[in-house]
Amino acid sequence: MNDTRSLPMPMNIASRSSLLVATLAVALAAGLAAPLWAADAPPPVAAASGPAASAEGSATRSLDEQIQDLKKDVIDLNKDLFMLEEELLFPANTQVAVFVSMDVGDFFALDSISLKIDSHEVSNYLYTPREVTALLKGGVQRLYVGNLRSGQHELVALFNGKGPHERSYRRAASVRFEKGVGAKYLELKITDHQRAQQPEFEIKDWE
Amino acid sequence: MPALAAAGSIGHAAPDFALPAAIGNNVRLSEYRGQPVIVSFWSSRCGLCARQLAALDRYYGTYRSSGLIVLGVSVDDDAQHAQDYAHAHVMAFPLLLDSAKAVSRAFGIERLPSTVLIDRGGVVRFLHSDDGAGDDSYVAQIRALLDDKFGGL
Repeated sequence: MNDTRSLPMPMNIASRSSLLVATLAVALAAGLAAPLWAADAPPPVAAASGPAASAEGSATRSLDEQIQDLKKDVIDLNKDLFMLEEELLFPANTQVAVFVSMDVGDFFALDSISLKIDSHEVSNYLYTPREVTALLKGGVQRLYVGNLRSGQHELVALFNGKGPHERSYRRAASVRFEKGVGAKYLELKITDHQRAQQPEFEIKDWE
Repeated sequence: MPALAAAGSIGHAAPDFALPAAIGNNVRLSEYRGQPVIVSFWSSRCGLCARQLAALDRYYGTYRSSGLIVLGVSVDDDAQHAQDYAHAHVMAFPLLLDSAKAVSRAFGIERLPSTVLIDRGGVVRFLHSDDGAGDDSYVAQIRALLDDKFGGL
Protein backbone atom coordinates (compact mmCIF):
# COMPACT_ATOMS: atom_id res chain seq x y z
CA MET A 1 0.00 0.00 0.00
CA ASN A 2 2.78 2.39 0.95
CA ASP A 3 4.55 2.23 -2.37
CA THR A 4 1.32 2.88 -4.28
CA ARG A 5 0.69 6.13 -2.35
CA SER A 6 3.43 7.80 -4.35
CA LEU A 7 1.29 7.68 -7.50
CA PRO A 8 0.93 11.24 -8.79
CA MET A 9 -2.78 11.05 -9.55
CA PRO A 10 -5.70 8.72 -9.03
CA MET A 11 -5.91 5.93 -11.55
CA ASN A 12 -9.24 5.34 -13.11
CA ILE A 13 -10.77 1.90 -13.34
CA ALA A 14 -9.82 1.42 -16.99
CA SER A 15 -6.15 2.16 -16.41
CA ARG A 16 -6.17 0.01 -13.31
CA SER A 17 -7.69 -2.86 -15.24
CA SER A 18 -5.09 -2.45 -17.97
CA LEU A 19 -2.34 -2.50 -15.38
CA LEU A 20 -3.75 -5.63 -13.82
CA VAL A 21 -4.15 -7.38 -17.12
CA ALA A 22 -0.60 -6.43 -18.07
CA THR A 23 0.73 -7.52 -14.68
CA LEU A 24 -1.06 -10.83 -14.88
CA ALA A 25 0.10 -11.39 -18.44
CA VAL A 26 3.73 -10.62 -17.57
CA ALA A 27 3.51 -12.69 -14.43
CA LEU A 28 2.01 -15.68 -16.20
CA ALA A 29 4.44 -15.33 -19.08
CA ALA A 30 7.31 -15.24 -16.61
CA GLY A 31 5.92 -18.25 -14.79
CA LEU A 32 5.32 -20.22 -17.95
CA ALA A 33 8.67 -19.21 -19.40
CA ALA A 34 10.46 -20.58 -16.37
CA PRO A 35 12.19 -23.78 -17.48
CA LEU A 36 10.82 -26.95 -16.00
CA TRP A 37 13.98 -28.70 -16.97
CA ALA A 38 17.39 -27.61 -18.16
CA ALA A 39 17.52 -26.49 -21.78
CA ASP A 40 20.25 -28.95 -22.65
CA ALA A 41 18.57 -31.83 -20.93
CA PRO A 42 16.53 -34.26 -23.02
CA PRO A 43 12.78 -33.64 -22.98
CA PRO A 44 10.88 -35.80 -20.53
CA VAL A 45 9.43 -38.94 -21.97
CA ALA A 46 5.69 -39.43 -21.66
CA ALA A 47 5.99 -42.65 -19.76
CA ALA A 48 8.66 -41.47 -17.36
CA SER A 49 8.84 -43.73 -14.39
CA GLY A 50 10.03 -43.62 -10.82
CA PRO A 51 11.98 -40.62 -9.55
CA ALA A 52 11.85 -38.80 -12.92
CA ALA A 53 8.04 -38.80 -12.94
CA SER A 54 7.79 -37.60 -9.36
CA ALA A 55 10.33 -34.81 -10.03
CA GLU A 56 8.27 -33.66 -12.99
CA GLY A 57 5.11 -33.79 -10.88
CA SER A 58 6.65 -31.68 -8.15
CA ALA A 59 7.93 -29.16 -10.71
CA THR A 60 4.40 -28.82 -12.12
CA ARG A 61 3.01 -28.39 -8.61
CA SER A 62 5.62 -25.76 -7.89
CA LEU A 63 4.69 -23.88 -11.06
CA ASP A 64 0.99 -24.07 -10.11
CA GLU A 65 1.79 -22.67 -6.69
CA GLN A 66 3.80 -19.84 -8.25
CA ILE A 67 0.90 -18.97 -10.55
CA GLN A 68 -1.54 -19.02 -7.62
CA ASP A 69 0.78 -16.76 -5.61
CA LEU A 70 1.00 -14.34 -8.53
CA LYS A 71 -2.77 -14.31 -8.89
CA LYS A 72 -3.13 -13.59 -5.19
CA ASP A 73 -0.61 -10.74 -5.48
CA VAL A 74 -2.56 -9.27 -8.39
CA ILE A 75 -5.82 -9.48 -6.43
CA ASP A 76 -4.16 -7.82 -3.42
CA LEU A 77 -2.76 -5.09 -5.66
CA ASN A 78 -6.21 -4.56 -7.16
CA LYS A 79 -7.68 -4.19 -3.68
CA ASP A 80 -4.99 -1.66 -2.66
CA LEU A 81 -5.47 0.34 -5.85
CA PHE A 82 -9.23 0.36 -5.34
CA MET A 83 -8.85 1.66 -1.79
CA LEU A 84 -6.34 4.26 -2.94
CA GLU A 85 -8.67 5.38 -5.69
CA GLU A 86 -11.54 5.71 -3.21
CA GLU A 87 -9.39 7.68 -0.77
CA LEU A 88 -8.18 10.06 -3.44
CA LEU A 89 -11.41 10.58 -5.34
CA PHE A 90 -13.71 10.65 -2.33
CA PRO A 91 -11.81 11.86 0.75
CA ALA A 92 -13.59 11.21 4.05
CA ASN A 93 -14.12 14.91 4.77
CA THR A 94 -16.26 15.39 1.65
CA GLN A 95 -17.56 11.88 0.95
CA VAL A 96 -21.27 11.16 0.73
CA ALA A 97 -22.45 7.66 -0.09
CA VAL A 98 -26.02 6.48 -0.64
CA PHE A 99 -26.94 2.82 -0.22
CA VAL A 100 -30.10 0.91 -1.16
CA SER A 101 -31.63 -1.99 0.71
CA MET A 102 -34.91 -3.78 0.24
CA ASP A 103 -36.99 -5.96 2.51
CA VAL A 104 -39.62 -8.51 1.43
CA GLY A 105 -40.86 -6.67 -1.68
CA ASP A 106 -44.37 -8.17 -1.77
CA PHE A 107 -45.94 -4.79 -2.41
CA PHE A 108 -43.34 -3.19 -4.62
CA ALA A 109 -41.35 -4.37 -7.65
CA LEU A 110 -38.45 -1.94 -8.04
CA ASP A 111 -37.77 -0.63 -11.54
CA SER A 112 -35.55 2.42 -11.05
CA ILE A 113 -34.33 4.97 -8.54
CA SER A 114 -33.54 8.54 -9.38
CA LEU A 115 -31.43 10.46 -6.91
CA LYS A 116 -31.15 14.22 -6.49
CA ILE A 117 -28.88 16.08 -4.13
CA ASP A 118 -29.60 19.78 -3.74
CA SER A 119 -31.87 19.62 -6.82
CA HIS A 120 -29.13 18.16 -9.05
CA GLU A 121 -29.69 14.68 -10.43
CA VAL A 122 -26.68 12.60 -9.42
CA SER A 123 -27.90 9.10 -10.27
CA ASN A 124 -30.60 7.40 -12.27
CA TYR A 125 -30.33 3.65 -11.90
CA LEU A 126 -32.35 1.04 -13.74
CA TYR A 127 -32.74 -2.32 -11.98
CA THR A 128 -32.79 -5.68 -13.71
CA PRO A 129 -34.65 -8.64 -12.16
CA ARG A 130 -31.33 -10.15 -11.13
CA GLU A 131 -30.36 -7.01 -9.21
CA VAL A 132 -33.75 -6.83 -7.50
CA THR A 133 -33.40 -10.49 -6.48
CA ALA A 134 -30.00 -9.71 -4.99
CA LEU A 135 -31.50 -6.84 -2.98
CA LEU A 136 -34.36 -9.02 -1.78
CA LYS A 137 -31.85 -11.62 -0.62
CA GLY A 138 -30.35 -9.01 1.69
CA GLY A 139 -27.85 -7.35 -0.61
CA VAL A 140 -27.02 -3.68 -0.10
CA GLN A 141 -26.11 -1.65 -3.16
CA ARG A 142 -23.97 1.46 -3.11
CA LEU A 143 -26.04 3.56 -5.46
CA TYR A 144 -23.97 6.71 -5.33
CA VAL A 145 -20.72 8.02 -3.96
CA GLY A 146 -19.65 11.60 -4.40
CA ASN A 147 -18.30 14.68 -2.72
CA LEU A 148 -20.15 17.43 -0.87
CA ARG A 149 -18.90 20.35 1.13
CA SER A 150 -19.82 20.70 4.80
CA GLY A 151 -23.22 22.14 5.62
CA GLN A 152 -26.91 21.48 5.07
CA HIS A 153 -27.99 19.46 2.04
CA GLU A 154 -31.15 17.82 0.77
CA LEU A 155 -31.43 14.35 -0.75
CA VAL A 156 -34.49 13.38 -2.78
CA ALA A 157 -34.98 9.81 -3.98
CA LEU A 158 -37.64 8.99 -6.54
CA PHE A 159 -38.65 5.33 -6.61
CA ASN A 160 -40.31 3.87 -9.73
CA GLY A 161 -41.78 0.44 -10.03
CA LYS A 162 -44.90 -1.64 -9.77
CA GLY A 163 -47.00 -1.40 -6.65
CA PRO A 164 -49.87 -3.54 -5.40
CA HIS A 165 -52.03 -5.01 -8.19
CA GLU A 166 -49.26 -4.47 -10.79
CA ARG A 167 -49.97 -0.77 -10.96
CA SER A 168 -47.25 1.72 -11.83
CA TYR A 169 -46.01 3.19 -8.62
CA ARG A 170 -43.95 6.34 -8.10
CA ARG A 171 -42.99 7.63 -4.72
CA ALA A 172 -40.48 10.17 -3.51
CA ALA A 173 -38.68 10.35 -0.21
CA SER A 174 -36.48 13.18 0.96
CA VAL A 175 -34.22 14.02 3.84
CA ARG A 176 -32.27 17.08 4.92
CA PHE A 177 -28.93 16.20 6.35
CA GLU A 178 -25.91 17.91 7.81
CA LYS A 179 -22.59 17.09 6.20
CA GLY A 180 -19.87 17.35 8.80
CA VAL A 181 -16.16 16.64 8.70
CA GLY A 182 -16.56 12.87 8.42
CA ALA A 183 -17.95 10.73 5.64
CA LYS A 184 -21.75 10.72 5.40
CA TYR A 185 -23.66 7.51 4.74
CA LEU A 186 -27.36 7.47 3.85
CA GLU A 187 -29.50 4.39 3.27
CA LEU A 188 -32.62 4.18 1.15
CA LYS A 189 -34.79 1.47 2.68
CA ILE A 190 -37.71 -0.08 0.87
CA THR A 191 -39.92 -2.13 3.18
CA ASP A 192 -43.41 -3.55 3.16
CA HIS A 193 -46.03 -2.10 5.47
CA GLN A 194 -48.08 -5.22 6.11
CA ARG A 195 -51.03 -3.50 7.76
CA ALA A 196 -51.44 -0.86 5.05
CA GLN A 197 -50.60 -3.39 2.31
CA GLN A 198 -48.32 -0.75 0.82
CA PRO A 199 -44.59 -0.31 0.37
CA GLU A 200 -42.73 2.13 2.61
CA PHE A 201 -39.77 4.26 1.59
CA GLU A 202 -37.44 5.54 4.23
CA ILE A 203 -34.10 7.32 4.21
CA LYS A 204 -31.87 6.47 7.10
CA ASP A 205 -29.00 8.74 8.09
CA TRP A 206 -26.10 6.68 9.37
CA GLU A 207 -24.43 8.90 11.94
CA MET B 1 -20.67 6.45 -20.58
CA PRO B 2 -17.51 7.03 -22.68
CA ALA B 3 -18.27 7.04 -26.40
CA LEU B 4 -16.53 4.73 -28.87
CA ALA B 5 -16.05 5.58 -32.52
CA ALA B 6 -18.00 2.87 -34.30
CA ALA B 7 -15.19 1.61 -36.53
CA GLY B 8 -12.60 2.08 -33.79
CA SER B 9 -14.64 0.13 -31.27
CA ILE B 10 -13.47 -3.24 -32.54
CA GLY B 11 -11.14 -4.81 -30.01
CA HIS B 12 -12.35 -2.55 -27.21
CA ALA B 13 -14.64 -3.34 -24.30
CA ALA B 14 -18.28 -2.71 -25.18
CA PRO B 15 -19.75 0.10 -23.07
CA ASP B 16 -22.12 -1.26 -20.46
CA PHE B 17 -25.72 -0.13 -20.46
CA ALA B 18 -29.06 -0.77 -18.81
CA LEU B 19 -32.23 -0.13 -20.78
CA PRO B 20 -35.93 -0.78 -20.35
CA ALA B 21 -37.48 -3.32 -22.71
CA ALA B 22 -40.49 -2.55 -24.88
CA ILE B 23 -41.99 -5.77 -23.52
CA GLY B 24 -40.66 -7.31 -20.32
CA ASN B 25 -37.91 -6.49 -17.88
CA ASN B 26 -34.97 -4.11 -17.90
CA VAL B 27 -31.75 -5.45 -19.41
CA ARG B 28 -28.15 -4.78 -18.45
CA LEU B 29 -25.45 -5.77 -20.95
CA SER B 30 -22.85 -6.74 -18.34
CA GLU B 31 -25.17 -9.44 -16.96
CA TYR B 32 -24.48 -11.39 -20.14
CA ARG B 33 -20.71 -11.45 -19.63
CA GLY B 34 -19.59 -14.96 -20.53
CA GLN B 35 -22.04 -15.21 -23.42
CA PRO B 36 -21.65 -13.83 -26.94
CA VAL B 37 -24.02 -10.90 -27.50
CA ILE B 38 -25.34 -9.29 -30.67
CA VAL B 39 -26.59 -5.72 -30.22
CA SER B 40 -28.56 -4.39 -33.17
CA PHE B 41 -29.57 -0.73 -33.37
CA TRP B 42 -32.86 -0.12 -35.14
CA SER B 43 -35.74 2.26 -35.62
CA SER B 44 -39.42 1.55 -36.25
CA ARG B 45 -39.30 3.74 -39.37
CA CYS B 46 -36.36 1.96 -40.97
CA GLY B 47 -37.30 -0.73 -43.48
CA LEU B 48 -33.83 -2.26 -43.59
CA CYS B 49 -33.89 -2.55 -39.81
CA ALA B 50 -37.02 -4.70 -39.99
CA ARG B 51 -35.23 -7.14 -42.33
CA GLN B 52 -32.21 -7.12 -40.07
CA LEU B 53 -34.26 -7.85 -36.95
CA ALA B 54 -36.09 -10.68 -38.72
CA ALA B 55 -32.76 -12.25 -39.77
CA LEU B 56 -31.35 -11.87 -36.26
CA ASP B 57 -34.49 -13.50 -34.86
CA ARG B 58 -33.77 -16.52 -37.04
CA TYR B 59 -30.17 -16.69 -35.83
CA TYR B 60 -31.37 -16.33 -32.27
CA GLY B 61 -33.74 -19.25 -32.76
CA THR B 62 -30.87 -21.36 -34.07
CA TYR B 63 -28.12 -20.42 -31.62
CA ARG B 64 -29.86 -19.40 -28.37
CA SER B 65 -29.43 -22.90 -26.99
CA SER B 66 -25.68 -22.46 -27.51
CA GLY B 67 -25.72 -19.31 -25.40
CA LEU B 68 -26.16 -16.57 -28.00
CA ILE B 69 -27.87 -13.40 -26.76
CA VAL B 70 -29.46 -10.89 -29.14
CA LEU B 71 -30.57 -7.42 -28.06
CA GLY B 72 -32.35 -4.91 -30.30
CA VAL B 73 -31.86 -1.28 -29.27
CA SER B 74 -34.41 1.16 -30.64
CA VAL B 75 -33.27 4.72 -31.24
CA ASP B 76 -36.78 6.05 -31.89
CA ASP B 77 -37.29 9.51 -30.42
CA ASP B 78 -40.74 8.46 -29.31
CA ALA B 79 -40.58 5.26 -27.29
CA GLN B 80 -44.25 4.64 -28.09
CA HIS B 81 -43.36 4.00 -31.75
CA ALA B 82 -40.87 1.37 -30.72
CA GLN B 83 -43.35 -0.20 -28.34
CA ASP B 84 -46.01 -0.34 -31.04
CA TYR B 85 -43.50 -1.98 -33.37
CA ALA B 86 -42.48 -4.48 -30.68
CA HIS B 87 -46.10 -5.49 -30.14
CA ALA B 88 -46.75 -5.78 -33.87
CA HIS B 89 -43.54 -7.71 -34.68
CA VAL B 90 -42.92 -10.08 -31.81
CA MET B 91 -39.27 -11.12 -31.57
CA ALA B 92 -37.91 -13.89 -29.40
CA PHE B 93 -35.22 -11.53 -28.11
CA PRO B 94 -35.68 -8.30 -26.12
CA LEU B 95 -36.29 -5.04 -27.96
CA LEU B 96 -34.94 -2.22 -25.81
CA LEU B 97 -35.79 1.47 -25.70
CA ASP B 98 -33.06 4.09 -25.99
CA SER B 99 -34.99 7.28 -26.71
CA ALA B 100 -32.21 9.38 -25.19
CA LYS B 101 -29.77 7.66 -27.61
CA ALA B 102 -27.16 7.44 -24.88
CA VAL B 103 -26.30 3.85 -25.78
CA SER B 104 -26.10 4.39 -29.54
CA ARG B 105 -23.88 7.40 -28.87
CA ALA B 106 -21.67 5.34 -26.57
CA PHE B 107 -21.24 2.76 -29.33
CA GLY B 108 -20.60 5.51 -31.90
CA ILE B 109 -23.48 4.39 -34.12
CA GLU B 110 -23.91 6.66 -37.13
CA ARG B 111 -26.37 4.81 -39.34
CA LEU B 112 -29.15 2.27 -39.19
CA PRO B 113 -29.24 -0.59 -39.04
CA SER B 114 -25.97 -1.16 -37.22
CA THR B 115 -25.08 -4.41 -35.56
CA VAL B 116 -22.33 -5.02 -33.03
CA LEU B 117 -21.06 -8.50 -32.19
CA ILE B 118 -19.54 -8.84 -28.72
CA ASP B 119 -17.53 -11.83 -27.51
CA ARG B 120 -17.83 -13.70 -24.24
CA GLY B 121 -15.31 -11.35 -22.63
CA GLY B 122 -17.39 -8.27 -23.44
CA VAL B 123 -15.13 -7.11 -26.28
CA VAL B 124 -16.52 -5.76 -29.57
CA ARG B 125 -15.33 -8.12 -32.31
CA PHE B 126 -17.39 -7.26 -35.38
CA LEU B 127 -19.43 -4.31 -36.54
CA HIS B 128 -21.88 -4.18 -39.43
CA SER B 129 -23.48 -1.01 -40.71
CA ASP B 130 -25.80 -2.72 -43.16
CA ASP B 131 -28.74 -5.11 -43.24
CA GLY B 132 -26.59 -8.04 -44.28
CA ALA B 133 -27.61 -10.37 -41.48
CA GLY B 134 -28.64 -12.87 -44.15
CA ASP B 135 -25.02 -13.14 -45.31
CA ASP B 136 -22.91 -16.16 -44.56
CA SER B 137 -20.34 -13.92 -42.93
CA TYR B 138 -22.73 -13.40 -40.01
CA VAL B 139 -22.98 -17.14 -39.43
CA ALA B 140 -19.20 -17.52 -39.50
CA GLN B 141 -18.81 -14.64 -37.05
CA ILE B 142 -21.51 -15.93 -34.71
CA ARG B 143 -19.87 -19.35 -34.76
CA ALA B 144 -16.48 -17.79 -34.02
CA LEU B 145 -18.01 -16.01 -31.00
CA LEU B 146 -19.71 -19.19 -29.81
CA ASP B 147 -16.48 -21.16 -30.26
CA ASP B 148 -14.72 -18.49 -28.19
CA LYS B 149 -11.98 -17.97 -30.73
CA PHE B 150 -10.99 -14.68 -29.12
CA GLY B 151 -8.70 -14.27 -26.18
CA GLY B 152 -10.52 -11.42 -24.43
CA LEU B 153 -9.00 -7.95 -24.09
